[in-house]
Amino acid sequence: MNFENDAVIKKDRLRFTKNKLSANLSLLAIVFNAFYFVSIYKSDVGNYYYKLIIGISVVYNLLFMLAAFLSSEGVKSYKMNYSYVLLALGAGQIIRIFILPRAARGATVTLSDVEQNVMESGQFTRVCIYLIISAVLCCAAAVINISKSTTLTKYQAELEKKQKGASHE
Amino acid sequence: MSELKLQHLDKIYDNKVQAVYDFNLDVKDGELIVLVGPSGCGKSTTLRMVAGLEDISAGHLIIDGRDVTQMPPKDRDIAMVFQDYALYAHMTIYENMAFSLMLRKEDKNVIHQKVMAAAEILDLTDQLNKKPNQLSGGQRQRVAMGRAIVRTPKVFLFDEPLSNLDAKLRGATRREILLLHKRLKATMLYVTHDQTEALTLADRIVCMSMGHVQQIGTPLELYDTPANIFVASFIGLPPINLFDVEIKDGRAVCSDFVLDLNDREKELLAGYKDKTVVLGVRPEDIVQGGNIPVKVFTNENLGQTTLVSGNLGTHKITCKFREWCSYKTGDTVNVSFKKKHFFDKETTNAI
Repeated sequence: MNFENDAVIKKDRLRFTKNKLSANLSLLAIVFNAFYFVSIYKSDVGNYYYKLIIGISVVYNLLFMLAAFLSSEGVKSYKMNYSYVLLALGAGQIIRIFILPRAARGATVTLSDVEQNVMESGQFTRVCIYLIISAVLCCAAAVINISKSTTLTKYQAELEKKQKGASHE
Repeated sequence: MSELKLQHLDKIYDNKVQAVYDFNLDVKDGELIVLVGPSGCGKSTTLRMVAGLEDISAGHLIIDGRDVTQMPPKDRDIAMVFQDYALYAHMTIYENMAFSLMLRKEDKNVIHQKVMAAAEILDLTDQLNKKPNQLSGGQRQRVAMGRAIVRTPKVFLFDEPLSNLDAKLRGATRREILLLHKRLKATMLYVTHDQTEALTLADRIVCMSMGHVQQIGTPLELYDTPANIFVASFIGLPPINLFDVEIKDGRAVCSDFVLDLNDREKELLAGYKDKTVVLGVRPEDIVQGGNIPVKVFTNENLGQTTLVSGNLGTHKITCKFREWCSYKTGDTVNVSFKKKHFFDKETTNAI
């Protein structure tokens, strides 16, 4: 097989290699999401978090991890639809900053007659960073996959066209 | 590609069992050498010593002028194809073929070019995205060869690569290996116990028995002028017929027949007057017509040839006639011997 240049080799490689970069970025997004919820759930702030919202948060975390893992497997084999799932998950992570962390940021609780902040600014910054990184990783995985799968689809169409041309000749 | 020299190689295991005795061989650049012999004769051990999978107890191994006797396998620049393929089941064919180059941290584009080129040679391009368990035995063996090809090693080693294939596939894959050798012009060392593989593939054959080299030569040399009784019996299918004969008055006298010797044979056996030697006659050198009566007990038609087994007095004999025969059990067919081999009874060496 003769390749015209490195760019063509790079495209041809896509036919036989997996999109490991996107897959690994998705898995890393799960890790940063885990950092986020561990940071929130380990807070020693009495029963402040014992509300319906924490139940929803737990369920969402489980769903996020499941969806991100499935997407990781999907993008590994250049499936375009999983890119949209990852973009949605990324957007979700940004939105989450404005739900639990933002509510806890200004709230106070009284423990043993001492009033204290639910979330110090240090912890707030940390959880925001975790969620932002998680979101960025999801979006990066999606964008890379969109780019690679578009390139691959076009290249395969080109190859098919060439093969048809050759068989006609 | 390169030359390979095996100088006085010995292999002695920890339990003092010696598997290989004083093995000497010079393999020229681009030559395909086949090591052949029965199970346990030391051929695989020799190959594994070359690969570096077994320590060399004594002697030297030289690849391309460099002594690699003490070198670890990874530094010897050789590639080995195993009988059981040894493919990674969780990787695709592409990944299997690219794996060794990825470990070497070669450029990904270079790896791709090498894998695609090897796949094209081996007709595996359409299988690259499949896993090994989705391929047939022959295709898996081709993948194993492809994995060796991409490394462009100095020497290719094949350890009974066709043993796991059925007869039809074995023939096809054998031809592929031959074409591959012609195409790559690579130095290859091939181990088999199948003499057909040895005769069809080899530039030269090394026939081994009990850890000793019995004869090194071209396939024709081993077939036509075997060095001893072992080589004569091992090479050739069906095996050679052997009879004890006494050399008397210019004749070879057996208990069941008497043969007149020609001048060349008389000269050859001049030193064996009144002594017993071993007469070897290949089944294909026996022709119908003559004065040696064979009592038939089986007649096997193979298409263009017929295998006739029978009794020559107290001796068993197998004849391979070039025509379609229909002998029945109990029939008598008179035969004569076209070409004869004589061996010293004591040393078993060819006379």
